[in-house]
Amino acid sequence: MMSNGISLAEALARYRADSNLAPPPALTDKDSLLNTYHPDHLRDSVVKLTVGPNAGDSCQRELAALLQAETFIDEADLAGVPVTDVDVLVIGGGGAGCAAALTAAEKGARVLLATKLRLGDSNTVMAEGGIQAAIEPEDSIQRHIQDTLRGGHHIGNPELVAALAADGPNVLRWLIQLGMQFDQAPSGDLHTRKAGGMSTPRLVHCRDYTGLEMMRVLREAVTQHRGIEVWEQSPAVELLSNETGEKCVGAVLTSLLDNRLRIVRTRSVILATGGLGRLHLNGFPTSNHLGATGDGLVLAYRIGAKLCELDSFQYHPTGLLHPSHLAGKLVTEGLRAAGCLLVNALGQRFIDELQPRDVVCAAILRECHEGRGVRVNEQHVGVWLDTPRLERAQPGLLEAQFPNLMSRTRIAGVDPRVQPLLTHPTLHYQNGGVSINVDGASTVPGLYAVGEVSGGIHGRNRLMGNALLEIISFGRRAGVAATANRDRGPKKVTLEHVNRARRALTIANMPMTQRTPLVLPDYAAGGIWKR
Amino acid sequence: METLKTQACELNIPPLETPQVLLHPDQRVGANMARWRESGGGVALTLAAQDLPAVHAAIREADLRGLGGSGFPVWRKWESAINELPKPDKYLVVNGNEDEPGTFKDRLLLEETPHQIIEGAVIAALVIGANRIVFYTNPDIKRSLAAMRSALEQWKASDLLTLASTTLGKPLEMELCPGSGHYIGGEETAAMAWIEGGFPFPRGKPPYPAQAGVHGCPTVINNVETVAHVSHIVKNGAAWFKSLGKNSGSGTKLYSLSGDVLHPGVFELPMGTSLRELIFVHGGGLLSGKPLKAVFTGGPSSNMLTPVDLDVALDFESVRARGSSLGTGAMIVVSEGTGIVKRVAEYMRFFAHSSCGQCPPCKTGTATMSRLLDKIDTGRGTETDLATLRNLCNMLPGSGRCHLVNGAVQLLDSAFRHFPDEFRQALR
Repeated sequence: MMSNGISLAEALARYRADSNLAPPPALTDKDSLLNTYHPDHLRDSVVKLTVGPNAGDSCQRELAALLQAETFIDEADLAGVPVTDVDVLVIGGGGAGCAAALTAAEKGARVLLATKLRLGDSNTVMAEGGIQAAIEPEDSIQRHIQDTLRGGHHIGNPELVAALAADGPNVLRWLIQLGMQFDQAPSGDLHTRKAGGMSTPRLVHCRDYTGLEMMRVLREAVTQHRGIEVWEQSPAVELLSNETGEKCVGAVLTSLLDNRLRIVRTRSVILATGGLGRLHLNGFPTSNHLGATGDGLVLAYRIGAKLCELDSFQYHPTGLLHPSHLAGKLVTEGLRAAGCLLVNALGQRFIDELQPRDVVCAAILRECHEGRGVRVNEQHVGVWLDTPRLERAQPGLLEAQFPNLMSRTRIAGVDPRVQPLLTHPTLHYQNGGVSINVDGASTVPGLYAVGEVSGGIHGRNRLMGNALLEIISFGRRAGVAATANRDRGPKKVTLEHVNRARRALTIANMPMTQRTPLVLPDYAAGGIWKR
Repeated sequence: METLKTQACELNIPPLETPQVLLHPDQRVGANMARWRESGGGVALTLAAQDLPAVHAAIREADLRGLGGSGFPVWRKWESAINELPKPDKYLVVNGNEDEPGTFKDRLLLEETPHQIIEGAVIAALVIGANRIVFYTNPDIKRSLAAMRSALEQWKASDLLTLASTTLGKPLEMELCPGSGHYIGGEETAAMAWIEGGFPFPRGKPPYPAQAGVHGCPTVINNVETVAHVSHIVKNGAAWFKSLGKNSGSGTKLYSLSGDVLHPGVFELPMGTSLRELIFVHGGGLLSGKPLKAVFTGGPSSNMLTPVDLDVALDFESVRARGSSLGTGAMIVVSEGTGIVKRVAEYMRFFAHSSCGQCPPCKTGTATMSRLLDKIDTGRGTETDLATLRNLCNMLPGSGRCHLVNGAVQLLDSAFRHFPDEFRQALR
């Protein structure tokens, strides 16, 4: 990356928590800042897709290689493979998958939830900041819609955004009924914060581990529900289509334990596979968990589902840079929402910290690039997240409201109350994904997509707290829609869509050496998944 | 299977530098009679009307075969009908039922070249003295039905039909009869039963249709592709037709190529083109460059061909010599990586579903074979199931009135012969 900057020791010596800070310079040209420094706009990082429903669209290079690749299995591999029949198959065991499974099961469907790792191994548990819902007296659904659309640079689908915002209060109600805890104001109302891109406080939270708390109750509810069967360590390696290859009627799962294939035949498949941080686009570190390899996008694209915004990813402005074994780990935006500032190595503020994430991220990269960053080594340059100043302004706040951060840094031997945290943007979220409608339905009949794998809501940039809202809101919507289909189920399950994809690849003269989905990143331990 | 058909039609890439007779652009005018006549349509009928016995001789000389699958010489079928007296009518049935997996040539002819088919049928009717022509087509292919309906309307108002009736000495009546939508409805005696108004149950032979067919009248049943060739033979002569073929074949044949090839579609090639040329030159080779595993021929009721048969000439005799049959010219190509058990189970389900149910061995036999294959395919099979299937293969052939059960057994039997290991591996 960048080799200039001020060395860590020098910057630390220069740092003062009690200095007077001038307000950041006014942001005059947001677009040129984004165009120059945001990783989405890096030269050579984007290519055009040649085959499939999105042929001609821009896509990140690493993702394009996965979308236009050979499949893992052949029809011959399916001989003698046991078949399981269910009403709804949910692929993915994060928040969106659990919400979809629970809702479908509440509607009386037999649900199978298959997850690549364990139930709850997901990015949901890493969501720290909170969940957005327009519940304050001065807030409204309309303002939530406007903030979300503005934050996404008006690329988001207004219909989806409206559905998302309107679901907010009900989502909280549903979660509280499941037993989820939220922080409360002294009055007993839910406590809200204002975070990047919000026009008014709207972020409901549970300390700084909102997602973990959410997953706790979802996981309990899923394991206790008699209508839901859970298969852990069972990644999906291919979807199944009907004889015309135009409808999704199931999936082929494998097992990380015995490597055997299993066919699941179903009326509807709900993809809730999350994002692709582990592809390390443009060489960035990631905040994502080990299973975030973009499998859902690959499966959906191969069966013919339209995707959107494939060249737009969110880089979280404050990923930890130092100490190195925490690299990529997230420092919640909740800190900045609580008043924490960003300063460069010269001890200057350089951006309004509550700008949308893409703008803050671009500004940090600008500081690093122009020599005002803190240099750890040749590759790693970052900026300060000024936690000691926050501690001085609001003593005890860090300990009380950010216990997760405190315990993590304590293990690393850093005390954020006395030493600022060195941060650098980290690959965080996939803004686009499978195009869906308000029911979470993709363009392929029988295939639904919810959560991070879906696209169209966040435009080209997601606001904090909209992801947790989205997974429950759309998870429940897809759960309802997927059970509405009461036909007799598929007669035949085939790999017709795979042949179609192969034909297109061969005609376009594309290399077919890479086999996808990835399932686990190359560097994953043990090589359990080697075929 | 519907996919294979539709996809193939969409992706159809006309072969280069091969003789095009039936699929010549001049013929592919749809139901537009004026355009068809501008490019020489109707000339053959005028010629034929002047000397009908000569037409019969030319067909014999040209060695035109029944292209619906039998490969039976057309002249012989006609001759036995010529020798029969009308009682009081004589029928010509043009069979376009075409409902087997992997075959999609007749629908293309019916949709794009209806006039060529009607002209051929009228000439054939004149030669055999039939006063009723029934176009029996697949009811599910709406576009070919619409084209035929419109073309027949235009014929009824045209001078060509008047000429035909005058030549015949009585009114020539043409009728479009959508079939029942059953695969078995394409069998010739089943087709007759449907035209008479009953369920399309096949019946035993004899009596042959030429003696007692539709309503007991002498009847000739020819495939759509067969009658489409007639006018061209009349116009250009038998020698020309023979010269179109390769090896021992004569004329051209429509091959329906589908499965794991790069360019599936309908290809009009010289009869006797090699399987290798069809797959690798016209079909563009196999998907992902995988090796060939097998080819299901003729709407898969026959022995499959394997890579050792790549150089077989695709005409009736050469394919028969390999223990298989050309059938309708449908070639479903599968590459390495395709599961034979799954494929066979799929086709067996088709046969079990298509059995009309009147002959118990066929009704229960195909259903049992299908059930056992499904069981094996889904990982629940046992050695006993395999033994049962092998037993059925020995017991069932010849036990039905029509050919359905024999075809089903042949398919399974050849799968056992060529890929015994795959069945064993599927037992878990």
